[in-house]
Amino acid sequence: MTDVKTPLLDELEKGKWPSFVKDMKQAAKKSPMAEDLLCQLELSYKDKIGHWKHGGIVGVKGYGAGVIGRYSDRPDLFPNVQAFHTMRVNHPTGWFYKTDALRNLCDVWDKHGSGLTNMHGATGDVILLGTKTEHLQSCFDDLSAVGFDLGGSGSALRTPSACVGPGRCEWACVDSLDVCYNLTMHYQDKMHRPMFPYKFKIKVSACANDCVASIARSDFSVIGTWKGDIQIDQKEVLAYAVSAINIQKEVCDLCPTKCMEWNGKELKIYNEDCTRCMHCINLMPKALRPGKERGATILVGGKAPIVQGALLSWVIVPFIKLEPPYTELKDLIDRIQDWWDEHGKSRERLGELITRLGMRVFLRAVGLPAVPQMVKAPRTNPYVFFWPEEIQKEVK
Amino acid sequence: MGVNMSEDLKKQIVDLFHEKSKGDKKMFYIRDVTRWLPDADRHAVQDAVKVLLDEEVLKYWSTGSSTYLVLAEFFPKEEGSCS
Repeated sequence: MTDVKTPLLDELEKGKWPSFVKDMKQAAKKSPMAEDLLCQLELSYKDKIGHWKHGGIVGVKGYGAGVIGRYSDRPDLFPNVQAFHTMRVNHPTGWFYKTDALRNLCDVWDKHGSGLTNMHGATGDVILLGTKTEHLQSCFDDLSAVGFDLGGSGSALRTPSACVGPGRCEWACVDSLDVCYNLTMHYQDKMHRPMFPYKFKIKVSACANDCVASIARSDFSVIGTWKGDIQIDQKEVLAYAVSAINIQKEVCDLCPTKCMEWNGKELKIYNEDCTRCMHCINLMPKALRPGKERGATILVGGKAPIVQGALLSWVIVPFIKLEPPYTELKDLIDRIQDWWDEHGKSRERLGELITRLGMRVFLRAVGLPAVPQMVKAPRTNPYVFFWPEEIQKEVK
Repeated sequence: MGVNMSEDLKKQIVDLFHEKSKGDKKMFYIRDVTRWLPDADRHAVQDAVKVLLDEEVLKYWSTGSSTYLVLAEFFPKEEGSCS
């Protein structure tokens, strides 16, 4: 790295937090691309404008996704970032890597790109930042050789992601890793050959703690849950009461549905009022466990604010058993995507389409019955789900 | 017969792309293409577009968040530009 002056970026190195500028400077010592990137970013701060031209090439043979074209609008000043494409690489489900896999990935990227990575993007993919057009195919070939594939981008099914699930977590109600991997392999064409009105995201959380934030970030959320009573070990409840936790204040009073009673000796749960939020189980994992019949809740329509405002997912199936090969789940996904594909406007997400046409229309189209769990907020009018003729039938 | 129908559909799609690309706008969403052919089966149109992509008659152009389709001959030479 030559003696580059970046006074504005240097400000971002101050403070107690890790700085991406520090990482870029480190990369710039051996990568001319990283050095030009640093200089262009400094210019962007100085000019108060981004110096990237977005979009373009998706140039790996047979793929319409996974590469995002980026070009500098000042190639005269920064020739090494004239083309600075991003590659999105499908991460291993649950982000479990062996160290040799990570080394192989980095070796490929040192060979073909800037060496800079973002581990990981919002969708979950490995983001490899900055390669030239002529390296795209060879980089893809080398990634394939070490067992990696491109992920989704553009108007496609985005790379499905899942929490660590039963791999590390005692609370897992479903095998989120297997569900995610199975869906990823099943929907390869929808990920790599964009044919949707816009992006479509699937995320799988193994319990209601929702560690991948599927409820806020995915069009189709799978969240592990259970049926029946929470399992209680009263001896362990007492042990918590004696040692660390004020059960009345921290467990019962903070239960969202107030479905628990504590008399100082015994914890009683009115399971019919429980919404399975996991709050009590999180606080007393030795004393409480999810019920024995495990499955998942399906929700749709979550998204971050881009074209329109943010939406949280909406329950459409309160409980579904999830067992390989997940045929029922896939059939549901296919019906939903087909309806959205037919009726969605360009750049309209599933949640926005449901908001525009109504949950009633959606339910009829995908063949799901209206059930009480779909009422999004208490005391809202549940009749929005029913067609006038159905209400008339009930009245008669 | 299926092959012939597919070939007909492909030709229709390519002709429509040429017609719609006469103005400044050269890039279209897949949704635009299915709308140009309201009587055709949407899935058949999408399948025909995929074949045209394989044959490199059409090309993908992506911003990263949205994907467009463009006739290969109109794929921007000025990298990074979008009409």
